[in-house]
Amino acid sequence: MTRRFLVLAAILGLTGPAAGETAATVTAQAWNDMLKAHAGQPLILHFWGMTCGPCQLEMPEWGKLAAERPGLPLVLVEDDPMPMPAAHVADHLGKAGLAGVANWVLAPGDERIRVRIDSAWAGELPYTLLVGRDGKTERIAGAADMRLVRQWLDRETTH
Amino acid sequence: MSDILRSLCALLTGLGLFLSTVPVEAEEMAHHHDACVGTGLDCALVATPLFAKDGSLWLIWATADQVSLARSADLGHSFGPAVTINAKPLRLDTGGDGRPVVIEDAKGRLISAFAYFKDDQWNARALVATSTDRGQHFSPPHAISDDPASQRFPVLAADRSGDVFAAWIDKRIVAAAKTAGHAMPGASLAFAWSRDGGETFGPGRIFQEASCECCRLALAMDDRDRPTVLFRAMFPDGVRDHGVIHFLDASTPGPMRHVADDHWVLNGCPHHGPALAVSASGALHAAWFTQGSLRKGVFYARAENADAEFSAPMALSSADRHPARPAVLAMGKKVWLVWKETEETRTTVRLMDSNDDGSSWSAARIVAETTGTSDHPLLIGDGHHAYLSWLSRPEGYRLIPLETAQ
Repeated sequence: MTRRFLVLAAILGLTGPAAGETAATVTAQAWNDMLKAHAGQPLILHFWGMTCGPCQLEMPEWGKLAAERPGLPLVLVEDDPMPMPAAHVADHLGKAGLAGVANWVLAPGDERIRVRIDSAWAGELPYTLLVGRDGKTERIAGAADMRLVRQWLDRETTH
Repeated sequence: MSDILRSLCALLTGLGLFLSTVPVEAEEMAHHHDACVGTGLDCALVATPLFAKDGSLWLIWATADQVSLARSADLGHSFGPAVTINAKPLRLDTGGDGRPVVIEDAKGRLISAFAYFKDDQWNARALVATSTDRGQHFSPPHAISDDPASQRFPVLAADRSGDVFAAWIDKRIVAAAKTAGHAMPGASLAFAWSRDGGETFGPGRIFQEASCECCRLALAMDDRDRPTVLFRAMFPDGVRDHGVIHFLDASTPGPMRHVADDHWVLNGCPHHGPALAVSASGALHAAWFTQGSLRKGVFYARAENADAEFSAPMALSSADRHPARPAVLAMGKKVWLVWKETEETRTTVRLMDSNDDGSSWSAARIVAETTGTSDHPLLIGDGHHAYLSWLSRPEGYRLIPLETAQ
């Protein structure tokens, strides 16, 4: 399974800036491009915030998952009510074990992009979308049960 | 159709995630707040208004590290020179819910409150600064409370004697629990009074132990100078519904009452606080957002007085129209409600009003819209007229007259 992820990641690339670089703001074009690159493959979209306490508690769990599954198809999207210093974001992700994971940022106050990303999402955080190979998506509002995420990943990567 | 497009359609069909069936508006979507550098209103993320007793409009706003304030003598069409409230740049804790606020007390002093992050663990501190010269200068911002635990989302209200009531979200109980080795979700609510226009505050006291940690508080004074606070509470089993606490006197909080059973279970941050007004009759007007299992969207409920039960929640829109960020204003028997509805390319502010103290309501109508990013819509009255106060890109700040109070 790990090998499969590595192959997928190599083929598709996890489009977007990796943590440690300045995060790119989500635009319709960039988001479309990122989703195109992952079409037909499992994808985890995790929305989080520096000022969201429950997110802070949960992030290391995503770091553990990334460590145990190299090539994890995970894209992070930071959503805070004000711009966050890139260095602080990178430092935070590094401490959570997510230094190599692509991280985007939503422009503060732009609720239209949320509607475009997921019409059911009202901005609560953390928020996770599990996009299956067939496009079927499961939504997780609030901190995720990582056991269920692992089960989903196993299903999506097993023929 | 290419394989890639077929895959994209599968994604769209299965989810409702936006994709390339939506016209791409890269230039529009690339219009970022973070590209704006400066401390002026044109770079503000949020702006909060105040009508002073002399009829002038004050606007307080926050950029990345500075809180500023300016006066308008022409209902927001133009503003005088901005005054900086924090001389030293601070990592501000601002946003639609964590906005800076300013009030005027009975002696004409302007008192502002806001919060900043004091460390890299995102612990915040609530600050207050006072102007005794009609906004020309402000005292150096100082902490409302000297408790070391995190404080966020401060709100202020002045009573008729000039005393100032402050309430905020406070983490001292959560911090103590963490120190004792058992995690406690959420936060608490604290209050304090100032008898000198915000120069000093009495000891901060907890008046609600279990509260959501990331939603704005709504505060209103009744005609007997008793504060009422509406907030997103933490109920058992992770339910984040709304509670209201009405103070029996200046220092005695009454019991918390559940406003509505929405049953929003969330181990996370809604980032979506409520709105409250108390009308001259003593009626409470509450508006809020929920993603609960029993109802979703934006709702209004009315209580005849601070001790009465709230009415059944009235939906202001349908959930599939993305209603959010309600505000409510009461003057005399007139009550106004506004909220945002967001589509893929525009955001509208919709209005409903009542001529009978919230018993019956008009149909909703659009009073403003933008194709850019926007702050929460706010309502403000000068005692005679009601206005929508809204900051948006690219329109900038707007004060839009609604109707005359009755």
